[in-house]
Amino acid sequence: MSEIKIDHVSRWYRNVVAVNDVSMTIGPGVTGLLGPNGAGKTTLIAMMSGFLAPSTGTVTVDGQPLWRNEQVYRTVGLVPEREATFDYLTGRQFVVACAELHGLDDPGASAQRAIAQIEMTDAQDRSISTYSKGMKQRIKMAASLVHDPAVLLLDEPFNGMDPRQRIHLMDLLREMGAEGRTVLFSSHILEEVEQVARQIEVMVAGRHAASGDFGAIRRLMTDRPNRFVLRTDNDRLLASVLLADASVRGARLRTGRGADGGIELEASDFGRFSEVLPRLAREHGVRLLEVTPTDESLESVFSYLVSS
Amino acid sequence: MSNQSEQTSPPPTAVIHDLGYRPYTGPRLGERPVAWAFFVTGLRNTYGLGRSGRSKVLPMILLGLMLLPALILVGVLVQAGKLLELDSQIVAYSSYPLTTQLLISVFVASQAPALISRDLRFGTITLYLARPMRRSVYVLVRLASLTVATFVLIGSPLVLMYLGGLLADLPFTRETERFLGGMVGALLLAACLAGLSAVVAALTVRRGLAVAAVIVVLLVSYTVVATIQGISYDADQRDVGEIAGLFSPYTLVNGVQYFLFDSPRATPTPPRSTGMGIAYVATTVLTVLGCIGVLLARFRRVRP
Amino acid sequence: MSAAISPTIVRLGARSIFSRWRGVLLFVLPAILIGLSLLVRVLVGQDEASAGVTLYRLGLVVIVPLIALLATSGLLAPEIDDGSISYLLATPTSRHTIVISKLVVAFSCVLAFGVLPMLVAGLVLRPDSPSFAVGFAIGSLVSGTTYCAVFALLSVMTRHAVVIGLIYVLIWEGLLGGLLDGVRWLSVVRWSAEIVDRIADLSLVDDLPLTYALIASGIVLVVGTWRTGWRLRAFNLTGDE
Repeated sequence: MSEIKIDHVSRWYRNVVAVNDVSMTIGPGVTGLLGPNGAGKTTLIAMMSGFLAPSTGTVTVDGQPLWRNEQVYRTVGLVPEREATFDYLTGRQFVVACAELHGLDDPGASAQRAIAQIEMTDAQDRSISTYSKGMKQRIKMAASLVHDPAVLLLDEPFNGMDPRQRIHLMDLLREMGAEGRTVLFSSHILEEVEQVARQIEVMVAGRHAASGDFGAIRRLMTDRPNRFVLRTDNDRLLASVLLADASVRGARLRTGRGADGGIELEASDFGRFSEVLPRLAREHGVRLLEVTPTDESLESVFSYLVSS
Repeated sequence: MSNQSEQTSPPPTAVIHDLGYRPYTGPRLGERPVAWAFFVTGLRNTYGLGRSGRSKVLPMILLGLMLLPALILVGVLVQAGKLLELDSQIVAYSSYPLTTQLLISVFVASQAPALISRDLRFGTITLYLARPMRRSVYVLVRLASLTVATFVLIGSPLVLMYLGGLLADLPFTRETERFLGGMVGALLLAACLAGLSAVVAALTVRRGLAVAAVIVVLLVSYTVVATIQGISYDADQRDVGEIAGLFSPYTLVNGVQYFLFDSPRATPTPPRSTGMGIAYVATTVLTVLGCIGVLLARFRRVRP
Repeated sequence: MSAAISPTIVRLGARSIFSRWRGVLLFVLPAILIGLSLLVRVLVGQDEASAGVTLYRLGLVVIVPLIALLATSGLLAPEIDDGSISYLLATPTSRHTIVISKLVVAFSCVLAFGVLPMLVAGLVLRPDSPSFAVGFAIGSLVSGTTYCAVFALLSVMTRHAVVIGLIYVLIWEGLLGGLLDGVRWLSVVRWSAEIVDRIADLSLVDDLPLTYALIASGIVLVVGTWRTGWRLRAFNLTGDE
């Protein structure tokens, strides 16, 4: 069980501040680092993996500093964002080489174990230059897992993966989190983070904006209403009925037909609204065709966080 | 009733102008203006004009270093010409590029990849090929930009020397003849260097390697040729040296100038016989055409 | 992980160096040297002056530094450029071990493509005087290895290592060295030329003590290697290019 402690860390380059006074503790389990591009996620992960020195503050793993300290890599594994171009090696040779560089007793066996874990056993003897993007990502993971690290850092691991590989990677991360490892990955795609991470850390413009469970963070923003689009078979009736309820702040009928039609709704109390809507619809005989939240996208979350 | 309502005040009217998407309906220029604009941009970019400040540093320094010795020579000629009884340029027009070849090589080596490798490496070439400019025109225009840029580099000190020579009262017609010969040589040299470096840059697409490869090719070829020429001159086997001179653009063009314009020689073994002189001229022409051919073939294989 | 040389990195380095264009140039350059030597020998027979000029001007000043530059920057610069070196650095292997292992590969290239061809060229030019060939071979060994250390340091300090290395070779060693005599105190080529002078009984460079040449080369080699390892300990992995 290892812990990463980030203590009042800032990193600037001339007059651009990439990370601005961030403090957080990353414990065992899967943590997601969420933020739009340019928020400082990659900079923070670089500092957590010992490849960048903070301008102020300290980054430690179990009390040991990461900067200029090679031995810490016995417990830390890193999956960087950029692809490795060891094109002249096969997958197996690459992972075995990493295992040898870690000084493992049986590099071949450890490599096989890691390759099996990411399910690349069939393709391991092909040259890396023939791999697809998802396969390259997975072989990078094998290289980072080969020494069984207690801490695993992944920078945008889902970039460029197709849905099936993504599901597989999510399973893998959850499995490793369940084993008690400290797993941190960064992403700007909400669904990936939501499904895998139990704890998320949100970074916006270099600042640590929020941490915790995403739904809980969302519900903390109670001064901003939830927006929905409802398509029903009797818009006007349902809108007027909903407006009578306390959880609804506003309703507007859209003028289009079919998919462009419907009700635009603002609900201030999400919990109550999600109970009220189906009840009222059934009571008044209105059929709900579609209920879509329009602001559960990352953009709106971030814009709430930034403007608050 | 309607008369009454019309007489009181006409109802306020309003119209909503639904502009929507306005496509461009003006004249569209054809291939030639596109190619010209592309040529001018390429030319300006080799000297860093129209780009960031950092890209101006190296070309401008090289240009300055090329002009500096010419300035000094002109100064000496004008001030002390009578005193030292100088009746011609201290360094001949045709010899100057040979003396400053290092600067020219560095310039060509750094700018050819910027013009040619960059588009290939990062795939931006598809932006150019999707315009009304044919692929072959793209290649020729790029090469032309590089050639003219190199010509400016090689030729501007010669212009300076010519003006200085006129100031120093050197004979007009003779100086002009020599100057024009030197400029023709500068153009040929620029064409050869641009062609060779463009070919190397187009084949090795990574920028750092392209720069290195161009310098290696130019430097090694000249050193080898110079060594052979020196040794063959001392050993009185000049034919070998003359043939060797075909293999480096600097000695090749110098030989052409020696043959066509009677310029003073700058290499130990310039071509003496008519046959060899024609071979020099033919090789120059073939080099330029061959490079163009290789480039066209290479760019035909580009897949966006 | 206290071993000074990591066989893994040596293996990786040896594979990577021939996987790109650099491999071709590494073969072409010594071929040019030997080809020229053959030509000179055919032209003038065994002439001391021509042989010296050929091996010095082309071999020691141009070919050997270029081989060192190609080998060393080919081992370090591409991996730093695209971030692959982070896979080597994210291990408990000592940074100095990484540098030394890569330099072992570079030294081997210098030996195979620089020193041996110089020996062969020297024997081709003057078979009656083996000390000539041996002198140039040892001189190129010293200057080649010293250059490797210099170019390794350049590779980890700047992205433009290759260009700067070339400018150093061309302008400092080539142009200025030919013009100014004082350059010899700070010129790797001239230090090794002094060594050649002693062994082959030539006079390529004047007034340069042998002990100075040897010590200076040694210092540059050791300090360059150590500083490169030091810089790698503080390596910054940047995100996008």
